Amino acid sequence: MNPVPAFLTYDEVLSSAGESREVYRNLFERLRASSRSQLQAIDNQLEAALREMGVSFDVDRDRPWGKRPWFCDLLPQIFTPGDWHPLAEGVRQRIQAFELFLRDVYSEKHILRDGIIPVPVVLGSRFFQRPAPGLPLSGGSFLHLSGVAVCRLPNGSMAVKHHYMSHASGMSYMIQNRRVLTRVIPQSFQETGIHSISDVPTDILEMLRSHSSETDPLVVLLTPGPLSPAYSEHGFLSRRMGIPLVQGGDLLVMNDEVYLKTVRGLNKVDVIYSRVSDQWLDPLVFQRDSTLGVPGLVHCIRKKNVAVVNAIGAQLSDDRALLPYAAHIIRYYLGQNPLLPTLETLWLGDVDRREHVLANLQDFTIRPLYGERILSGGDGNTPSEKTLSSAKEAILKAPEQYVAQPQSCDAMTVTFQNGERRRRRQDHILFGIRNDSGGVLVCPGALTRVSTVASDFTASELGGGGTDTWVQVDLEARAEEWDPARQTELHMPSHGVTSRVADAFYWIGRYLERAYDLAGMVGVIESLELEELNPTERMNYRPVWNKILPMLESAAVPSRRTISSPEGRHRLTLDTSEPGSVVSTILRAVENAESVVETLSIDAWGVLSHLREQFEDACFDPTAPPEAQAASSRSLCKLARETIPRFFGTAESSMLSDDGWNFCKIGQFIERGAITANAAASITGTLLLSQPPKRRGHDLEIRLSAFLRLLNCRDLYRRVYQIRVDPEAMLNLLWKNPVVPRSVLRCLQGCATLVRESESNLSPATERALGAMESLHQSILSTDWSVLLSDAPTSGKSRLQSHSEALLDRLLALHTVISDSFLNHQVLMNHETRPLFRP
Amino acid sequence: MLFEVVHVTSYKYSEPSMEAYLEVRLTPPRRPGQEILSHRIEFTPSAPAVSEYDDYFGNRTTVYSMTLRHQHMKVVNYLTVNTSKPAAPAAALSMSVAEARQILRSARTAVFDYIEPVPAVPLGGPSAQWAREIIRPGDSLGDCLERLNESIHQNFKYCSGSTDNDTPLETVWKSREGVCQDFAHVMLGVLRTAGLPCRYVCGYIESEPPDPEGSATRGLVGALSTHAWIEALLPGMEWVALDPTNNQWCGEQHIAVSTGRDHLDAAPVRGTFKGSASQIMKAHVTMRRIPEKP
Repeated sequence: MNPVPAFLTYDEVLSSAGESREVYRNLFERLRASSRSQLQAIDNQLEAALREMGVSFDVDRDRPWGKRPWFCDLLPQIFTPGDWHPLAEGVRQRIQAFELFLRDVYSEKHILRDGIIPVPVVLGSRFFQRPAPGLPLSGGSFLHLSGVAVCRLPNGSMAVKHHYMSHASGMSYMIQNRRVLTRVIPQSFQETGIHSISDVPTDILEMLRSHSSETDPLVVLLTPGPLSPAYSEHGFLSRRMGIPLVQGGDLLVMNDEVYLKTVRGLNKVDVIYSRVSDQWLDPLVFQRDSTLGVPGLVHCIRKKNVAVVNAIGAQLSDDRALLPYAAHIIRYYLGQNPLLPTLETLWLGDVDRREHVLANLQDFTIRPLYGERILSGGDGNTPSEKTLSSAKEAILKAPEQYVAQPQSCDAMTVTFQNGERRRRRQDHILFGIRNDSGGVLVCPGALTRVSTVASDFTASELGGGGTDTWVQVDLEARAEEWDPARQTELHMPSHGVTSRVADAFYWIGRYLERAYDLAGMVGVIESLELEELNPTERMNYRPVWNKILPMLESAAVPSRRTISSPEGRHRLTLDTSEPGSVVSTILRAVENAESVVETLSIDAWGVLSHLREQFEDACFDPTAPPEAQAASSRSLCKLARETIPRFFGTAESSMLSDDGWNFCKIGQFIERGAITANAAASITGTLLLSQPPKRRGHDLEIRLSAFLRLLNCRDLYRRVYQIRVDPEAMLNLLWKNPVVPRSVLRCLQGCATLVRESESNLSPATERALGAMESLHQSILSTDWSVLLSDAPTSGKSRLQSHSEALLDRLLALHTVISDSFLNHQVLMNHETRPLFRP
Repeated sequence: MLFEVVHVTSYKYSEPSMEAYLEVRLTPPRRPGQEILSHRIEFTPSAPAVSEYDDYFGNRTTVYSMTLRHQHMKVVNYLTVNTSKPAAPAAALSMSVAEARQILRSARTAVFDYIEPVPAVPLGGPSAQWAREIIRPGDSLGDCLERLNESIHQNFKYCSGSTDNDTPLETVWKSREGVCQDFAHVMLGVLRTAGLPCRYVCGYIESEPPDPEGSATRGLVGALSTHAWIEALLPGMEWVALDPTNNQWCGEQHIAVSTGRDHLDAAPVRGTFKGSASQIMKAHVTMRRIPEKP
């Protein structure tokens, strides 16, 4: 057991005599009777179940798959009907009062004109959104889905600690806690009548759908993305509601309407459940540098073409500076006394309160007006001198930015984490959903947050965990409000993979293929250099080397790319400041993968993150002796050559073979085909070299052999032709051979098959893409290389060269066709295209 | 006076932009002393439709979106205006500062936005000293405003290019130089520190008189791009405009277009672009006086 806390706190589970309270007796005694190893075993099961369900709350932003799994304790919180009823009523009353408050301060401002609360608290709040007045309110309300945090006072009564009215974060953890507990200790549930919460997502979905007059509205959940700590919650809710999880970049505003970009086209969005704060929601209106939002969104709301839940401006109700006035607000708008008091909250902008707090700083929890950061206190321990002095400094610097609440609050409970009984602090978040008659339904459950082995704080952002929350069924009450018949498992409707996800996969494919080919070339040259070459051979090898390097996207990028010297190869392998190096290319692929990490399998991500680590560990050293440089280039290129195919293989066998993955392979084919075509076009000069026939044969043979080795095609060539390297045979092999993996034709066919597969019905976009591939395919097939080879140039470019380059250009233009057709939807609106590599 | 204004804002991207969204505040309000004879905004590339709304500060705002790939973007504001010298609100201006402050304070909810600090215009610091010395409670509001306007004109040097959009006001106070936006912010800061509500105005000014030979007056500063000045709120909820850059009460040569707490609220063109890493914005204003027919 932990030491007794320094502050007065109510004990949730044990009475003052140390006995377990009536309601917990059965459960608690059983857990108490279990041996430590039994408890440990159950706890391990519980943790494994959570991991398997993918429940995480991430605070460590450096490790996308090292996400902290959510902690759920074995002992649930139990509310008796007598406890619960006033609590739920109090939450309902508060949400209704703040709803009226928001409507008033964003229009007539009666409460300010009547002098009930100070003007600066409202109009000076950074959450008072000036674009909000006059915006139409969907469903007539600001708040549709709200959270309210409550805690015990030392005397055991309940009080409101924070408002999460605009962002009801934590609902998924409430549901997941229940799911995991029923899996691990199902017998407990059979003994007790408790309210079900499993249909909460259905209720939310119904509420969201009611915001549109369409019969089948498109509802989306807008998330800030994988870097958001609650991203796992966003994923869970969207899955359970069967609605797409989208980021700002997935949406597009056109003609005052919002569209979702999918690889199957643009779909009009009717309702957005936003988990992005107002300030990031629309860069045209709020924070201008926001990349999380959707430019033009606010105007679409204004034009009533889309509904956003909760309404813009609602965040004002969560400003902690308003907590001291909550009672005034309830009385002013409802004419009722508050059913649930507010935990004493002192706004430090007020000089008297500030002095009082500063004089007794150790007794208070100091928080900013919004968010979960804590300056001092909050964990029931006496803060260190260092904490106190830095808190004091921060308060004096900007007192109006902070509030203080007494540390004597929250309740102590018992947890069984890791099989050990411990005393922990806890509080609760309750959730309310507005129904279509304007009332608020309080979910019969809560997210009970408990402090953990890792953290003395309850807040999830600070390392807290949770426990299931049971609301006992009142046997005497009339029929249940919550109808279990409505618990239906929803099926994910097919909205197609969003264009953003497909685009990221496309680039993963392209970059990995580029890195793979480049690493292959560097590796080949490093081994060639080890071989005993005679000077003639060496002289003949080198001219082809630099020309066949994979292209960079932007011709304007200054590059020192050279493959000829050990230093150049070292740079080309490991210099992160070199845009086309193997390491830069791999990092770009990994960046793209990170942006869609939730759609990658853990195994596939593991391969990539391992590759990144290895490259990050290796260091670029331009001053090292050539042998050392060559050795490190060689070993890393070898690693890339081994690991990249492993990624494709692992992903293929562990991921959904949906449109997203298809685009990864399309990217891979496009890149590979382009590299082959670029190499073939770059060598045309060599093929037509006018030299005395006798010498020419031998030199050419050496050069072409080196060339094919760089493209990893020499052995294939030998197997196909069984003759010495001949220009015509080589060109046929590279351009049209149907079975050589890197022939342009084979890459084209691969693309076409995938594009065809990704659509059941051919759309104009698909047809256009397939048409472009088909026509290029025909041109390649009908090219007679022997004629072109025999046509020596009289002056300027040879026909061989110009024809090769024309084919290459058309191949590169496929990138634009693909991205315009599926990824950025230009094809729906525009006809101009522009090749990627040659502006 | 009759004026024709052409205000061109153009963007050139480093890469073609895939999506561009603009909100422009380019529609001048109809108000006494400012009769709008014709007005239109032209966007290139042209969008199928633009739509409008009135923002929180009362500015008519035009919303434009372009979701086709494009290399350039241009917004041209065409305007014909007939200006006349507005009657000075003599009664309010002759009121003492203390009295005016008292009256305005009673309307706290309505004037709050124009009296509180915003990030671009912090209060206190050097503003406090100026407020104490120049805005004396017993003096008439009109005198104080004029004195402050003049002090800023004398103590700050107009220096084109010396600051950019985001130069903090603190730097301007230190270097004592800036452009019209900075002059306006300095004045707003002092007035708000003194408890007098006021707002930022973005608009156009005639820089060259039509007949330079006939007069020795120098051209007014600010043309060739948009100009900025301030308006102070007087008891009776009436605004009066002063131009600290040119040391004068605004008159027939000023055309007000947008207002707000600071330059950000009143920004004539605000845009978001996707697909292009960077863009260069250029703005140019020509303002021509049309000889009135006898």
